[in-house]
Amino acid sequence: MADSAIDFARDFPGLAQDVHGVRLAYLDNAATTHMPNEVLDAVRDFETTSRANIHRGVHTLSQRATDAFDGAREQLKRFVGAGPAHELVFTSGTTEALNLVAHGLSDAGLGRPVLAAGDEIIVTALEHHANFVPWQAAARRSGAVLRVLRPDPEGRLHTEALARLLGPRTRVFAVTAGANASGERPPFEALLKMAADAGAMTVLDAAQAVGHEVPDLSSLACDFMAFSGHKMYGPMGIGALVGRRERLERLAPLRLGGDMVEWVTEQHTTFAELPARLEGGTPNVGGAVGMAAAAKFIERVGRDTIDGHVCALRRYAVDRLSELPGVRVLSADSPRTAIASFLTEDAHPHDLGTLLDHRGIAVRTGNHCAQPLLDCLGIGPTTRASFAIYNTRAEVDRLAAAVAEALRALR
Amino acid sequence: MNEPIEDLYQDLVLEHKRAPRHFGKLAAPTHEARGRNPSCGDDISVQLRIAEGELAEIGFVGQGCAICIASTSMMAEALYGKPLAAADALRNRFRAVLTGDGDPDDAALGKLVSLAGVRRYPNRIKCALLGWHALAHAMQQPIGGTAAPTIEEPEA
Ligand SMILES: Cc1ncc(COP(=O)(O)O)c(C=O)c1O
Repeated sequence: MADSAIDFARDFPGLAQDVHGVRLAYLDNAATTHMPNEVLDAVRDFETTSRANIHRGVHTLSQRATDAFDGAREQLKRFVGAGPAHELVFTSGTTEALNLVAHGLSDAGLGRPVLAAGDEIIVTALEHHANFVPWQAAARRSGAVLRVLRPDPEGRLHTEALARLLGPRTRVFAVTAGANASGERPPFEALLKMAADAGAMTVLDAAQAVGHEVPDLSSLACDFMAFSGHKMYGPMGIGALVGRRERLERLAPLRLGGDMVEWVTEQHTTFAELPARLEGGTPNVGGAVGMAAAAKFIERVGRDTIDGHVCALRRYAVDRLSELPGVRVLSADSPRTAIASFLTEDAHPHDLGTLLDHRGIAVRTGNHCAQPLLDCLGIGPTTRASFAIYNTRAEVDRLAAAVAEALRALR
Repeated sequence: MNEPIEDLYQDLVLEHKRAPRHFGKLAAPTHEARGRNPSCGDDISVQLRIAEGELAEIGFVGQGCAICIASTSMMAEALYGKPLAAADALRNRFRAVLTGDGDPDDAALGKLVSLAGVRRYPNRIKCALLGWHALAHAMQQPIGGTAAPTIEEPEA
């Protein structure tokens, strides 16, 4: 029995190659996943039949492009369970989406900012810098106070700890659906609900979850959710901010210019409705089409199939790596995660990464853009293997063998 | 390309990584600087006691990969007690080898020749140079001076 759910060599052309003379084992999926043919085909089809600027022409191709862009938006809204009270705005990725929220709530831009001096913003220490640094800037810009929800020594977040931070001035709570540095999958549903019940606006960084677990907005107390195409089998340079319409309407746009205005005179401008209002400039239409095709791919294979496959591989990797002397996997017991991030005694992740690369194995090493988390846990850089639908148990075996070999050499 | 274990991680390199020379703080440093590489977390502080135009003492502390630690260790060993001008000269020679502009068998490099293989791993060159950048900054930075003593992500 093939132990990957699909034949990746056929469906994912980017994986069918050798690195340093050995078949590539691509285990850096938390950074970027590869694209299946159906996504590549959808982008190519758009670029060859419908390429034109949107909303700007009456000609046929412009109409096709506009339809493709709107169709991609609808597809992705359904994918994340967005209803009539929601809207989805295309961005360049999770980073831009989170900046749009943090900036949009704190910038005076077109009027009074939502955040004011003395308000409180709570972010967690599990966040990627993309869901941390923009909040530092928002706090500085608005005079709000930034408070940090820290994990326990095992790297887990707890609702009791959040309860202690929430107060009458809490305006924003931002949390990740999956910590990219440790692999921890926090109980974000309960955390969001608790923050929303306390009157805060809630922000979910779904970058790591959207490729397998796919958070469902219809059942979450979530005002804003951000995710990227390239971590869900789609293209790079495209992502989305999806959220409650009434909340999105209060964001000051990050980009002013074409396509986001209603009427412009020499001294005055009125602005377009959502989503155009937050999408100034020519968008990445091909990227949006590819991202929608990626959502379709996930639906076709089945979210549960993908989630089951990557989580099982992760558990297997935890078992295999933990057998090795001097190796400790972070958040080893975390549920529903595709990330195995580990520490190695006497061997630095960079050295390990170079040696694994020579065995054809691609992993991530370093601090994974999450310095506050590593500081909190009192650890340095890690080595991270992360899984996607095309990975196999045989690749985990190769990883474990190569780590063992490298550790013997480096000790 | 050779196996990296022969090319990059020669015995001498691993030996310096396991037992770095001049690792530790100086009792009475006159100059110091810290070098950090944010992408991999390497973090090296170099301390110097400069007296009469010489690097009378060199010490370093911090954490880093094998390449970073071995390179800093060999640097400290090679320059301990040497004139300041020798530090600049050796740094330029070593850097030239890593960037492909110098002779990888340059005898003047001494033990540092064991790190010449790093030139074939472009994403590791900054690891090998971090300690040297910290040294160069330390030489410009008397303790108690005003300049900020931290440098980040040196260019190769
Ligand atoms: C949890 C998390 N948030 C945000 C990001 C940033 O995503 P992007 O680089 O696509 O903007 C990443 C990507 O590494 C991530 O893992």
